[in-house]
Amino acid sequence: MEESMAAFLPWLCIPFAGLLLCIAILPLVRAEWWEAHQPHMAAAWSLLFLLPFAAVCGAGRAAETFLECMINDYLTFIVLLFGLFCVSGNITMSGDLAGSPRINVGLLALGTLLSSWIGTTGASMLMIRPVIKMNAWRRRRRHIIVFFIFLVSNMGGCLTPIGDPPLLMGFMRGVPFFWSLKLLPVLLFNLVLLLTVFYRIDMRAYRADIAAGLKPDISRPGTEVKLRGLHNLVFLILIIAAVILSGTLPGLPAFRDAAGNVKGIPIFGEVRLGFPALIEIVMILLAAYLSFATTPASIRRENHFTWGAIQEVAVLFVGIFITMQPALMLLKANGAKLGITEPFQMFWTTGMLSSFLDNTPTYLVFLTTAGALGYSEGILTAFGMVPVKMLEAISAGAVFMGANTYIGNAPNFMVKSIADENGIRMPSFFGYFVWSLAILIPVFLVDTLVFFR
Amino acid sequence: MPIQMQDIKEMAEHIYDLDAEVYCHLGSSLGRVFNRDRDRCVKELVELLTTRPHGDLVRSELALIANMARTIEDKEERKLCMSEYNRILNAVMSLPTSFASGDVIDPKTARLNEFNLQNRFSDEDHLIICISWTYGSGGIDVGFKLADRLKINYYDEQIFTAVLKRLDAEKDSLRDTAGYTQHVKDEMDQSPAKAFLPDTRKSFGERIREFSRYHGLSKRDAVFFNQSDLLCEMAKKEDFIVMGRCGDRVMTNNGIPHISIYITAPFKQRVHRAIEVNEGLTEKKAHALLKKLDRQHASYYNFYTGRSWGHANNYDLCINTASYGIDGTVEFILRMINRE
Repeated sequence: MEESMAAFLPWLCIPFAGLLLCIAILPLVRAEWWEAHQPHMAAAWSLLFLLPFAAVCGAGRAAETFLECMINDYLTFIVLLFGLFCVSGNITMSGDLAGSPRINVGLLALGTLLSSWIGTTGASMLMIRPVIKMNAWRRRRRHIIVFFIFLVSNMGGCLTPIGDPPLLMGFMRGVPFFWSLKLLPVLLFNLVLLLTVFYRIDMRAYRADIAAGLKPDISRPGTEVKLRGLHNLVFLILIIAAVILSGTLPGLPAFRDAAGNVKGIPIFGEVRLGFPALIEIVMILLAAYLSFATTPASIRRENHFTWGAIQEVAVLFVGIFITMQPALMLLKANGAKLGITEPFQMFWTTGMLSSFLDNTPTYLVFLTTAGALGYSEGILTAFGMVPVKMLEAISAGAVFMGANTYIGNAPNFMVKSIADENGIRMPSFFGYFVWSLAILIPVFLVDTLVFFR
Repeated sequence: MPIQMQDIKEMAEHIYDLDAEVYCHLGSSLGRVFNRDRDRCVKELVELLTTRPHGDLVRSELALIANMARTIEDKEERKLCMSEYNRILNAVMSLPTSFASGDVIDPKTARLNEFNLQNRFSDEDHLIICISWTYGSGGIDVGFKLADRLKINYYDEQIFTAVLKRLDAEKDSLRDTAGYTQHVKDEMDQSPAKAFLPDTRKSFGERIREFSRYHGLSKRDAVFFNQSDLLCEMAKKEDFIVMGRCGDRVMTNNGIPHISIYITAPFKQRVHRAIEVNEGLTEKKAHALLKKLDRQHASYYNFYTGRSWGHANNYDLCINTASYGIDGTVEFILRMINRE
């Protein structure tokens, strides 16, 4: 990286911080204004990065950076979210199962274990509505969604490359598919810790609700649970297949040119939309279309399906993806120079950066760093030999700590938006961060002592 | 111009109606803010609106309704709902910051629990007396005699039996944890160790059936919710005395006028009575039994009401039966409610 550019990059991180502050503060102080002007704010902060960047590096490089991030990062990200949002919105559960601490513990445990097999986003979208529905009779329920984000939207995804994109990247770079199952003891340990804390909090809230006279409608003997739109599970599997293909196809010779680059449609300069990504997008959009075409509108109505949540995520994450580029550039340039050599350092550094930045590039930076340390034993990756403990720390840091903030992982904000839209008063950006500080950070400290010393 | 209670009530009704209208347009109860009956929700809203700083909570509830309203697809309907939301919000914002009159009276408690019976019970309300008592204080006898003198129904275990019918459950599979009969029977009949043995004999199928029967809730919770429903239904139809079962709190939560009475006696006195009425009970055992029953009932009451069992603040009247005797206590209560 040129000297002038390196000196300038930290300043270019200001728009990213500015956008995050807007997301954190404006909904609290000017809620309606913020709702009306989200696209404008995202565009304004993006321009505040792109224009100075273009002035220093040239319009061509700025355009390339912008298109690279939009085509290769944002597009696949939002299409996947969109597909899962559509398909899961077409599955509805009705019945009179009453949300209580033990039911909620069961739902969270189920969702967590499901995350690794249908992805954190898939599990979140599939489970969030039933969780909201069963707890509709209660008033104190924001903690349920917060723990849902902790467990289902993040931690649960650590066991397979399908679970979370960083692990898929690791798989593409030589980490065996089932290697991540080694994180099962860490996941179970955290699951037990968090569910114990959750049970206590939920029991307190449940008792307060009962004491206030709230009660579920259980007047009929026997529980009736009806699932409608179950054929959409086929489309869900199609989307998961698309994600797996996007990770495996680039390794096949048919998808590589003579120079070893992934073949694709040239967009601008070096930027191209790879064929594997294109196949993924087409498959996901097809699944979403078929899901809509084959599901009666009454199911979506019952689910209170609206475009509000996906629209909000799509708008805000355009800004987040663009403005976080300088921070990622800084990380790529300096990650190896941070002097990180111990698993606990990898766990915390990867984790803290994944809390605010995209966890996929963060994972790759530290995997590269670990691979360059010259170890002779461990897992052989495209970046070199990485000791098992080190790889566990990087993987767990990237996956687990995405739960620290609303923007740490794709489904977090989506779940928040759906909950907001359905009568649950979710904590603000900082409010959620306080939950993470109070509950997740102590758990991660225990993890460090037990697993990553 | 000072704001009248009628205005506040109308405001509360408008808030409830707006929520109902939004729900009607969306057709999904997923996020309905007020999902209980109108009267009760309106009463709660009036309380929130008149008790600052809780008035802020109303704005928060309104914001949730607005979140839902913004997702209405039809532009015209959405506009109408949002206009109504803005109108209500402005009205809420213009409320004074305090309605304090300087009196110590808590309107909610006074309306339901003050011993001003002429004001408390309207012609449409039934006479409902909720009695909590400590084992050995003669509470059951007081309740029974009182019902006899007032010629109204007396309910204790009968509630539990009715709940079994509602739940379509076998009597052996459930314990009446809200009353004393089952507890005392358990303590007298079984060895203490047996009471703590886990129920391991159920097959997987039975467990699934049980899970379905109780809607995923614990048996105790399912019974409590059904008891509450039943008490509220009965309160619409008849006068009665209900023993325990957190009846006082259930009535308060549902805005049903009632009289709550706590009957107790000094511990030593209760031990003597327990020995008298339970053949074969030694003093040592009676001592331990009473301590345990008190602990269990305090825990039960606290779990479902969030209040302390036996705390004078929670009742209209607390009586020491050792001072009046059973008949004297009945006379005393009758005089209090002008039904001698």
